[in-house]
Amino acid sequence: MLGYYLRLAWLSLRRTPAITLLMIGAIALGIGATTTTLTVYHRMSTNPIARRNEVLRAVTLDSWSPDQPWDRDHPELPPSEVTYRDAVAIAAGAPAARIVPMRKTSLTAEPGGGRPPFLVIARLATRDFFPMFDVPFAYGTGWDARADRNAEPVVVLSKETNGKLFGGENSVGRVLKLDGREYRVVGVLADWQPTPKFYDLNNGAYDTPEDIFLPFGLGAALDLQPGGNVNCWKSEALAGVHDLFGSNCTWHQLWAELRTPAEVERFQAWIDGYVVEQKKLGRFPRKLNNRLYRPDEWLARHEVVGLDSRVLLLVSFAFLAVCVLNVVGLLLSRFLGAAGSCAIRRALGASRGEIFRQHLVEVGLVGALAGLGGLAIGALGLKALEQLYSSYDRLTQLDLTMTVAAIALAVLAGVLAGLYPAWRICRVQPASYLKTQ
Amino acid sequence: MEIRPILSALLRNRTGALLVGLQVAITLAVIANAFFIIAGRVERIRRPTGVDSPNLIFAKSQGYAPDYEHAAALATDLALLKGLPGVVAVTPTGQVPLSGGSSINTYQTSPDPKAPEFPGFYFEVNADFIDAYGLRLVAGRAFRPEEFVAVPANNDLPPVMIVTETMARTLLGQGPAVGKRLYDDTGKSAEIVGVVSDLQGSLYRDTRPGPSDVLFYPRGGLGNTWMYAVRVRPGESDRLLPEIERLLNASGHGRAIDWVRTHDWFLARTFRSDRRMVVFLSTLVILMTAVTALGIVGLATFQVNARRKQIGTRRALGARRTDIVRYFLVENGMLGAGGVVIGALLAYGASSWLTSAFQMPPLPPLYVLGSALALLALGQLAVLWPARRAGAIEPAVATRTV
Repeated sequence: MLGYYLRLAWLSLRRTPAITLLMIGAIALGIGATTTTLTVYHRMSTNPIARRNEVLRAVTLDSWSPDQPWDRDHPELPPSEVTYRDAVAIAAGAPAARIVPMRKTSLTAEPGGGRPPFLVIARLATRDFFPMFDVPFAYGTGWDARADRNAEPVVVLSKETNGKLFGGENSVGRVLKLDGREYRVVGVLADWQPTPKFYDLNNGAYDTPEDIFLPFGLGAALDLQPGGNVNCWKSEALAGVHDLFGSNCTWHQLWAELRTPAEVERFQAWIDGYVVEQKKLGRFPRKLNNRLYRPDEWLARHEVVGLDSRVLLLVSFAFLAVCVLNVVGLLLSRFLGAAGSCAIRRALGASRGEIFRQHLVEVGLVGALAGLGGLAIGALGLKALEQLYSSYDRLTQLDLTMTVAAIALAVLAGVLAGLYPAWRICRVQPASYLKTQ
Repeated sequence: MEIRPILSALLRNRTGALLVGLQVAITLAVIANAFFIIAGRVERIRRPTGVDSPNLIFAKSQGYAPDYEHAAALATDLALLKGLPGVVAVTPTGQVPLSGGSSINTYQTSPDPKAPEFPGFYFEVNADFIDAYGLRLVAGRAFRPEEFVAVPANNDLPPVMIVTETMARTLLGQGPAVGKRLYDDTGKSAEIVGVVSDLQGSLYRDTRPGPSDVLFYPRGGLGNTWMYAVRVRPGESDRLLPEIERLLNASGHGRAIDWVRTHDWFLARTFRSDRRMVVFLSTLVILMTAVTALGIVGLATFQVNARRKQIGTRRALGARRTDIVRYFLVENGMLGAGGVVIGALLAYGASSWLTSAFQMPPLPPLYVLGSALALLALGQLAVLWPARRAGAIEPAVATRTV
């Protein structure tokens, strides 16, 4: 029976090729636009550390000014970064499975061999950074506890940096000159592109991770300059990088791994106690407001999916809706235009259900063809977007999820568009049409 | 005179009318808001930077060697760059205008710590900055070369500053700014010695400081990372950019040249997302309008075909071609009008969501009105061809098929 319905559908579509193409084109365009924006939106809002979402927490403390909140639009939020002294004190004392204080800096790498020195972006962090964020290694490992304690000159390279400096070979044990000092390579990362860069969303949430990773202690030992945001509220004498370490400026990120709700509670109690102690020393003039964020909450707080992609998503769904309405109108007119032949089939014994099914098959055929067209248009749209996004091309690859979603959306749109017209046509009274013939 | 019969015909075919009306409504809601967003972005991209952007080149130097001497490197770099044929003027600079980075401080016009604070973007430059950026001195004087401090001892206010016209107005209203003092919240102060024409210091936001609230300090920076703004003669920037890169790289000093880029490079990067939004939204608007128009054509064509007999009968009873054409135009106009009214409500609904969720300014009525008129005109245009076909139906059709 399905074959017969398909043949009928095909004949009916062939009868009015212009209208058929218009219908298929309309749904395909709607699907294409929607897949394009859905893909970008999906990539932007995906939590890259979803596996560890339950156990990871970004730590924030309200160390801001007594006169004004950190964020005028959201006065309830503590600053998104912490001071050096608080990062170090909490990392040293708070009860947690892992705590990692970190920040960004930049150094100059001298590749030697007559090549000019170039700037590398470095992340200063303690060794737990790598296991905590599931960072994959191609060669070697992170540094050991002693390297953290003594701020030893060791370095972990990203895959790209290792390619640039050592041609991509196993460089563990090799020496790299940074800012005129020698560092021993202990590890090289495999490809690692968390998108968005959840652990530090400042200065470009979709940027690639840092070029190299260094023990946290080196930052203070060598007065390495800040490479990210430095936010200060208090007028303090700052004659150079060195003065930042004792200041009330926030410029570090702090992450903790807490494996059970009890651990979370204990950690929260500890940092609250810490801040209360600090208040006695005249610090933390605002009311107690220390917040822990799971990675998904952290991404939401930083609004990494901004106005633009939400507006585009909404607009493309509106577009899809217009396309579907359009097709409903066209189908309705088509079906009712062919009501005469339906009436004959009904008079000859076809049931309402059969008429309904036959028209749904026709609609499904339109939907399937439109889905294919929509995928092609979506792929083209993403190609075009790549030009517009340039460095963000990882945001614009059509992936399997989105392909399946596109096809599902097309069939759904087609069936939704066809349900009402098919229902209308099967309610037609055969007699009224037969009489007028 | 024709409204009543058309309306009753429409009411007999409610579904078709509803579908077209809804399409028009959604399209209107989207395009009114899209046009408003697009207009805002285009305005932002087109807003004058205030500096001589096409002829500005920036370079970033980072000292890294233990024996790096910032003051010495600064002096030789400036001499090298100034000596390059085709270079108009050079200044060290702490910021690239509209690059996304910024340094912000707050200032008061009286030493009273309770006095109101005004935030501003500050640029650390030398005495040549007015020429180097292509600004104009509006009042007072430029910095004197001896006022420039290459390596300041701390980040306190410098003894003298120059402000933009907008910053002067922000701080002091219409009164003269030159000779006035500005204070920080520790009571240290600086004298305003000059006022220059506006430039956009950083990205436009609706919060303070405003984009042109900029102050200039005559000094270098605290760290070993520094930038230069090099203004070249018109048309020379393509030739001079690699030249400048080579010159700075060859000068030694135990530092790395991180990059040498035109100001247009920064502007392109800064406005990339705005451009993207404009392109994307315009594409969707065009497609959406086209689909709506094609839908109107398609539906009207069906209507004409379905009503051949009635049209023939009307013609046979004395209706002229123009009466038939007008019938379809009026019918479409009524559908469009209904759609536009619902669409205006939807448009304001969407706009109020944007306002509450993203602090977008509210949608001005002009955008809704303009889009509505455009959509109504488009609907008339779309229905014209099927309507003319309807007009061409001969009265004989009525007799032939009964």
